Amino acid sequence: MFSKSSAVSGAPALSLQGVSMSYGAEKVLHQIDLNLAAGEVLGLLGPSGCGKTTLLRLISGLLLPDAGQIQIAGTTVAAPRAGITLPPEKRGLGMVFQDYALWPHMSVARNVAFPLEMMRVGASECKDRVTRALDRVGLGAMAERRPSDLSGGQQQRVAIARAIVAEPPLVLFDEPLSNLDRELRETMVEEIADLVADLNLSAVYVTHDHAEALTLANHVAVMRGGWVEQLAAPAELVDHPKTAAVAEFLRLGCLLPALHDAENWLIKGTDLSLPAGVFGGAEAQVLLPEKALRLDANGPNKLKTEVLRAQVRSTGQALTLRVVGTNHVIRHLTPAPVRAGDVLELSFSPEDLRWFPVADPHH
Amino acid sequence: MAGGSVTTGAEGSVLLKWIATLGLLIVVAIPCLFIVVQAIFPEFGSGSFAAPFSLFFKTLSDPALFGMAGNTLLLGVGTVICAAVFAVPLAALRALYRVPGALIWDGLLLIPFMIPPYIAALGWIMTLQPRGYLEQVTGFNMASLLFSVSGIMLIMGLNTFSVVYFVLSRTFETIGARYSDVGRVFGAGQWRSFWRITFPLAMPGLAASLLLVFAMSIEEYGTPAALGRRIGFEVLVTGIENRISEWPIDLPGSATLSLVLVGMALVAFMVQRWLLNRRDYRIVGGKPQASDKRSLGVWAVPATLLFAFVALLATGLPILAILATALSRTISGGLKPSNMGLDNFRELLGAGSDGLIALGNSLMLGTTTALLAGLLGAITAYSVVKGRGRFRIVLDALSITPNSLPGVVVGVGIILAWNQPWLPITPYNTPFILLLAYVCILLPQPVRYATASLHQLGDNLESAARVSGAGPLRAFTRIVFPLILPSMVTAMILVFAVASRELVASLLVAPVGFQTIAVYIWQQFDQGSAGLGMAMAFCAVLITTLIPLALISLLRWLTRGSVAGLS
Repeated sequence: MFSKSSAVSGAPALSLQGVSMSYGAEKVLHQIDLNLAAGEVLGLLGPSGCGKTTLLRLISGLLLPDAGQIQIAGTTVAAPRAGITLPPEKRGLGMVFQDYALWPHMSVARNVAFPLEMMRVGASECKDRVTRALDRVGLGAMAERRPSDLSGGQQQRVAIARAIVAEPPLVLFDEPLSNLDRELRETMVEEIADLVADLNLSAVYVTHDHAEALTLANHVAVMRGGWVEQLAAPAELVDHPKTAAVAEFLRLGCLLPALHDAENWLIKGTDLSLPAGVFGGAEAQVLLPEKALRLDANGPNKLKTEVLRAQVRSTGQALTLRVVGTNHVIRHLTPAPVRAGDVLELSFSPEDLRWFPVADPHH
Repeated sequence: MAGGSVTTGAEGSVLLKWIATLGLLIVVAIPCLFIVVQAIFPEFGSGSFAAPFSLFFKTLSDPALFGMAGNTLLLGVGTVICAAVFAVPLAALRALYRVPGALIWDGLLLIPFMIPPYIAALGWIMTLQPRGYLEQVTGFNMASLLFSVSGIMLIMGLNTFSVVYFVLSRTFETIGARYSDVGRVFGAGQWRSFWRITFPLAMPGLAASLLLVFAMSIEEYGTPAALGRRIGFEVLVTGIENRISEWPIDLPGSATLSLVLVGMALVAFMVQRWLLNRRDYRIVGGKPQASDKRSLGVWAVPATLLFAFVALLATGLPILAILATALSRTISGGLKPSNMGLDNFRELLGAGSDGLIALGNSLMLGTTTALLAGLLGAITAYSVVKGRGRFRIVLDALSITPNSLPGVVVGVGIILAWNQPWLPITPYNTPFILLLAYVCILLPQPVRYATASLHQLGDNLESAARVSGAGPLRAFTRIVFPLILPSMVTAMILVFAVASRELVASLLVAPVGFQTIAVYIWQQFDQGSAGLGMAMAFCAVLITTLIPLALISLLRWLTRGSVAGLS
């Protein structure tokens, strides 16, 4: 029943063209273009203040854009130039909020039934659908409880049930897991991923946690300062970050400043040479991806580092390494026994390096 | 949709916005407007805008005005000093030391809140007047103190000091637990730490509560009218009432005096708001934590006696005087067992008596006022919280205006607005006019409760309803209103308690022959039937205290803790 969603119609689940938004004189979103095919999940990822929550509120109708056009499942819901501004209740969405936003004066079942009541679904059908939605999130037994009697994770499951019960063509997730503790977060990411796949939901998922975004989304838009810095599939994002900022935000590895002297690329301020890159210009930033580094000295290129700290983790030792002769720090996870003060040689392949211009493309 | 203005998609309901605007215009703006117009255009009553300002400046430069304004200020400042003298030592003792029977004293000092000041003043008259109860019991005659300016200040101070006492003892405790203890860790003794840390931090709270006392005392009618008139001590409130109810009726004069009085109240209110909203003193508030209070040692007995003495003055004497008068067959018969009986109560509550009708009128009006003011207050607060730009500022200003409108001024404004001869229909001379007056006077209470309660609701609760398909009106009725209802009920009970015994506006605008509790008491006293008046006063205090308390406990029992905010 849930799977019918919008997958039947051919229109994309969501389409944004040239959407801009200002708070007073401050522009918080610049010319956003995004498309989401039905049955797919779009992750909006970025640090706080990047505009991702504003963008989600524009899609939900809780805010209106200054310019551009938003379509949900083929229907134009906001287009200021054409005078179209559909209020949130006319957009037929489901939404999960960071603070759950369950209504404390209603039982769990009444909370979940609310969207159906608004659609004037008959009482018996309503009851069936609420039961099914609550069973889906594993809370069938809690229907008559008050939200305040439930734990944080259970409350968020109720909120998810409320968001999917009406089978909306698009479900919005606004940092749904950031109020939960780490372990619960990891379980819930997988639950949501299963749910989204089972129900073939179209969804937009806002988060500042890259692990969540990479796990859940078919496409991830990395946002910064009101711009979409890069829109790509998770694997592409990790392998080919478009800018240094994306690489830094995703914590892909160590960013080194590089200078081109007469014939070689050197780490700025040192005489350590880097393998030649296919990069024009005299200055660059080079990403040394963490996953490209090996602790054996067999690779084609090598870098001498000193161990500053070695912390025991459940998955091995988390090393903080300093490139000898510089202040640049590299992080690396290894099962090998290493102690602070050891000098290690790291190896890597030149094709794993990623080169970025120094100047910021937007600012 | 120009950039620069924030547009939200989830605006509040337009219908509610217009209800709030219309309601505030009728209840608040129209009476205010008519006072201003009448003050400027003296001939306005006969439909003419001739000779603007001709009487305005004349009234303003009238020496009688200076006398009344000066007396008003004098009374306000004197009352504040009396209230501070009673409240500050008691509050400090209560907060810093283990006072024997502290909770009992707190309970007794709450009672002055429940006795309307005019009833307490009448009680004091019965006690201190020549051949009053004090003279009958002890032989002392303190009539010269009673009918003097300092006597009025003392009585009003006793009536208002508990506001300061409760704010201050709580503030002292909170600050003591959080900051003063830190001072003691760094080597300050308890008294040093009180004077250097607790007292300076409590200053804004003290100043704000004293300003509240100031505003209460310059707006008070009953006490100065009952005591001051006999010695020719006229304040603005009594002057205004005089000009509008005694021949020759002076509408422009009462309007101008009203503006002067509102100006004073407004200044007090603004300074109070400024003091409470200053950021650096936000620490005040919250639950006092259990802190280690010192033992009073040998001072335990004197401190207890001080509490007992003040509680006797503020609570015991007025109540005993009311009861004694109500139970006396005749006043001249004095405090003798042979003179005691339930005759007054029998006459008051006899079938079809005037007293019973007055009681019924007041209960009916109190209930309707509570419902109307609660609903309008909730809708107004919601529209202000959701509103934007200039519209929001106007609504907000209108909703807090009655804070600085004394009851007498509301009465004048309503007479001026609704008694115009050219009005085709008017609520004037019907009980509805009292409803208008009470809602105007009491609107700030529900607005304040609703605003506080709305600010505690997460924004997303309403957003979630909107996204789930509810329109703005439905989101309000299904989500917002039920969630703020518990605190609205508290506000409405408060409104009921005050409205059902309001005095001065009732005296001014009640239709001919229509009596409320307060009008009845006042008239009985004027006509020399003090016993009957006091029997009514006693019933009024009981009813307006017991009904609300019963309602609150009933609500608590019904919701059984499942709804937050009923405390």
